[in-house]
Amino acid sequence: GDSWGIFTFLCAALCNLPALPALNCTEELGAGQSIQKTYDLTRYLEHQLRTLAGTYLNYLGPPFNEPDFNPPRLARAERVPSATVDLDLWRGLTDNARLAANYRAYSRLLCYLRALDGQAGTAELRHRLGHFCSSLQGLVLSIAGVMSSLGYPLPAGPAGPPAPPGTPVAPNDFLKKMDDFWLLKELQTWLWRSAKDFNRLKKKVPPAVVTLRLEARGF
Amino acid sequence: MANPVPSACCVVLAAVVVVYAQRHSQQDSHIQYERVGADVTMKCGSMDWDAAVTWTANGTDIDESHLNGSYLILKNVDLTQSGQYSCYEGSSWHLKYQTYLRVGTPPKDPVLMCRSNNYPKGFYCSWHLPTPTYIPNSFNISVVHGTREMVCEKDVFPKNRCHIRYLQLFSTVKYKVTLTVTNALGKNSTTLTFDEFAIVKPDPPESVVAKPVPNNPRRLEVSWQNPSSWPDPESFPLKFFLRYRPLILDQWQHVELSDGTSHTITDAYAGKEYIIQVAAKDNDIGTWSDWSVAVHATPWTEEPKHLTTEAQVTETTSASTSSFMPPPTTKICDKG
Repeated sequence: GDSWGIFTFLCAALCNLPALPALNCTEELGAGQSIQKTYDLTRYLEHQLRTLAGTYLNYLGPPFNEPDFNPPRLARAERVPSATVDLDLWRGLTDNARLAANYRAYSRLLCYLRALDGQAGTAELRHRLGHFCSSLQGLVLSIAGVMSSLGYPLPAGPAGPPAPPGTPVAPNDFLKKMDDFWLLKELQTWLWRSAKDFNRLKKKVPPAVVTLRLEARGF
Repeated sequence: MANPVPSACCVVLAAVVVVYAQRHSQQDSHIQYERVGADVTMKCGSMDWDAAVTWTANGTDIDESHLNGSYLILKNVDLTQSGQYSCYEGSSWHLKYQTYLRVGTPPKDPVLMCRSNNYPKGFYCSWHLPTPTYIPNSFNISVVHGTREMVCEKDVFPKNRCHIRYLQLFSTVKYKVTLTVTNALGKNSTTLTFDEFAIVKPDPPESVVAKPVPNNPRRLEVSWQNPSSWPDPESFPLKFFLRYRPLILDQWQHVELSDGTSHTITDAYAGKEYIIQVAAKDNDIGTWSDWSVAVHATPWTEEPKHLTTEAQVTETTSASTSSFMPPPTTKICDKG
């Protein structure tokens, strides 16, 4: 009921993020410091996710909470954005593409996670999920901040409803749990990947770049 | 066999017979594998049960008590009974049958280990048998990633090892590695399932050097290098763990360093020899490497070392960041 309205609003708000003017930001962080902050956020989230995933998978019950559980990827799971990428391709990503991939992925993951929140069984789970979603939202905004400060446009398009139109809702309970399992797995992998993404960005974008860009844009 | 001449003749004769027999292929000559503790019955080729034969083991005649007719019976065989068994027709001394008996065991569960010390290039797997089988074994390794079967290239050295290159990075699908050991008496296998990130473990740091700092009796300067097997420390930086203690104490002191490949210890006990080691880990994923080779160093002292108890006591009363209790003075005297 209410939660649907809230996250729809949030998703819409995130969609309108390109309007966020980084220069009005009173903190005046250099891009280098923003990248560091974003990196730290991914590490914090990764740590939080470990506890959250453990609790959630136990809630789902076996076989999802078994350490060796290694199911095949079903076609329907492809709608969750995957962090998997060819090594050379990953190395060759431009800063813009790298940031955009992260931004798009976490925006979608956030929406899916909020849908999970609405249906979670226990109060403890809802509390944990809610807290995690807030932190994840902070990460999305942080990435947006970095992109803005570097002069990159935010990726167009809505963050999307929990189930993009055309994708059927899980037909049974087991498949729904599979979806949840893969969502958490992709989220975990993305957080590991982001640590490496932001490491690369840290090295390539010194704070001085921001000043140059400001001058180039006539500020 | 006191007289060497007749025995020499026997040896020559046996050799001639063997060569003749081999050229005429009148008998089987093969390898026979049997389990430890099994009962083995050897038939003398196509000879009848009641034929008169002589069996030898590695050239030595076998006592008739082991024979059942022309069959050789070996009960509860052990490893010492491995060897060449030959059967000769009684009077003509024709070689009728020959076999190599190899006593061994079927393979137990092999020990398999996979590790990525060169992330993100790939990983390697190595294996061994926990107990020997005493007979030849063959190993087959298979690596499955989701639906894809990958080829693990065998290393020339060490032998029981193979390596794989990652085709994709940041994969959510686990890798499943199965090692099968097979020999003539049986087979066994072990399977490992793991995530890409779980097996990342760098090699220990290299070229660890510890030096005293002139005019600083409590300092030691430690420096090291990234392990040479780690291909891309720029994009995949390592963090380090340093541990040090004076030789005379058992408790280590630890420092974790997220940046740089050097560190200055500032709370060393003056005049005491220290042992220092460093370990490495990817900044974000995987596990710590093994400890590096240990280096020894003693902080700078003004004159030849005096291992006095007074010096020890003054040091402990001054401000110190170390958290362990100094040993009682008698202990130092004893060990000093």
